[in-house]
Amino acid sequence: MDNEIWIEQLDEAVTAVIAGTDASLPSTDAGLAELLRVAVELRDLPRADFKARLRADLERRAFMSKSAVKPIREGFHTITPYVIVEKAEELIDFVKQAFGAEELFRGTGTAGGIHAEVKIDDSILMMGGGGGADLRKYWTPTGLHLYVKDADAVYQRALEAGATSLGGPVDQPYGDREAGVKDPSGNHWYIATHKATGHMPEGLRAVTPFLHPRGADRLIDFLERAFGAEEQSRYQTPDGVIHHATVKIGDSMIEMGEAHGPWQPMPTTFFMYVEDVDSSYRRALAAGGVSQGEPADQPYGDRVGGIRDPFDNVWYLATHIEGA
Amino acid sequence: MKAQARDTAERLAIEAAQKDPARFAVLYEDNFERVYAYVARRVGDRAEAEDLTSEVFHQALASLSRFEWRGAPFAAWLFKIAANAIIDHAKRNAKEVELPESVDLSSDSSFQEIEDEIEQRARLFKQVDLLPLDQRRVIELRFAEEKSIRDIASELGRSEGAIKQLQFRALEKLRAQLRDE
Repeated sequence: MDNEIWIEQLDEAVTAVIAGTDASLPSTDAGLAELLRVAVELRDLPRADFKARLRADLERRAFMSKSAVKPIREGFHTITPYVIVEKAEELIDFVKQAFGAEELFRGTGTAGGIHAEVKIDDSILMMGGGGGADLRKYWTPTGLHLYVKDADAVYQRALEAGATSLGGPVDQPYGDREAGVKDPSGNHWYIATHKATGHMPEGLRAVTPFLHPRGADRLIDFLERAFGAEEQSRYQTPDGVIHHATVKIGDSMIEMGEAHGPWQPMPTTFFMYVEDVDSSYRRALAAGGVSQGEPADQPYGDRVGGIRDPFDNVWYLATHIEGA
Repeated sequence: MKAQARDTAERLAIEAAQKDPARFAVLYEDNFERVYAYVARRVGDRAEAEDLTSEVFHQALASLSRFEWRGAPFAAWLFKIAANAIIDHAKRNAKEVELPESVDLSSDSSFQEIEDEIEQRARLFKQVDLLPLDQRRVIELRFAEEKSIRDIASELGRSEGAIKQLQFRALEKLRAQLRDE
């Protein structure tokens, strides 16, 4: 039988299966009947977002059943990069395929945008987007430093998953074997294996946000005043241009290097847990941040406020408030 | 041997979750498709199936500390909760549904009958997750979201012919995987 006609017949039969009128289907050839048996079973296929939502509900419930409320939601650290792009679903699939990310949560907001939480090794990332061009102003492709056990293999997998190369794996003088890719949503992933201790340097986790500000020294100054950041390392030229610096906020690190050549600023969105969101929010405004929303209790159990720093990074400051 | 290893892994997962409820996720991931398949076949309505599945896992999490390992698989305990939840739900709503037999944990045959019925379907649901992205989206939109070929084509920006091709290839792949098991 002509293939196209056969596929048409299959679809007609599948439509009947879904509508529950398949009992009246005429007898079909054996091949078609076998596929329809699969289709009949698929009638009860659960929705993927239901499964993810229920898991998140249970995790929240499990956490609340423990005693005191900690200001940081279970499983999170001080800083969580919030990667917001046009095609969030594609990005989630990419990180699963390329980096073995585990999806912890996915939900849809009232404006049609997606919010998701994925875990890569020991690090949770928030991902969001979609919802059409109205939400364009929120899109923030991000630079991320990713430590893995085998940078060569992960680099290769990222390319196979649709990324483009920013540079193949090379041994760097600072002891990392490092490669770079740009994923289909425009995020930069600097994929590295640290060769001395374990596969990542002490103090860093699997994923660390990497900024390319224009005026890195001024950004460090802002982070110190607004969030109490502590500078951990700085490598700069004699005339003061920062090649690489790390700052620590709470239990998390941020890396940065002065914008140059292809590494231009990528304003980033951060979700940051603090002890007391109201006082942190006021301190950030006093340091030069611009309000993106006063602190308010959110239905998901956090009290959240937002500010934009002078480098266009957005910081959602949060304190976890809901518990047993 | 394989069944024994599975029992041991499950027992360890239960003990871990009893000590720390945050570890319940492992048991959830192992059993979600089974419970959903069991419930969905008995209530027939997607919203009710979701409500009841949710109720089963919330109840299981809440009473996990009282669960005692007596050799029966964890799924048997979940089916028992599910059977009771379906009966209660039907009574509350005074609706005609196919009421399940109560699940007798002391009877191997009772659990075996349920497992025979739902295991293949639960495995099939897990296999959908492993399909190539474009095929998976079509199957999810077509079956779980119950959308027409035309709507799926418009949502994914492809022709209706292309969507039908993807549906065909996905069904072929799922059939082959089930056959290989």
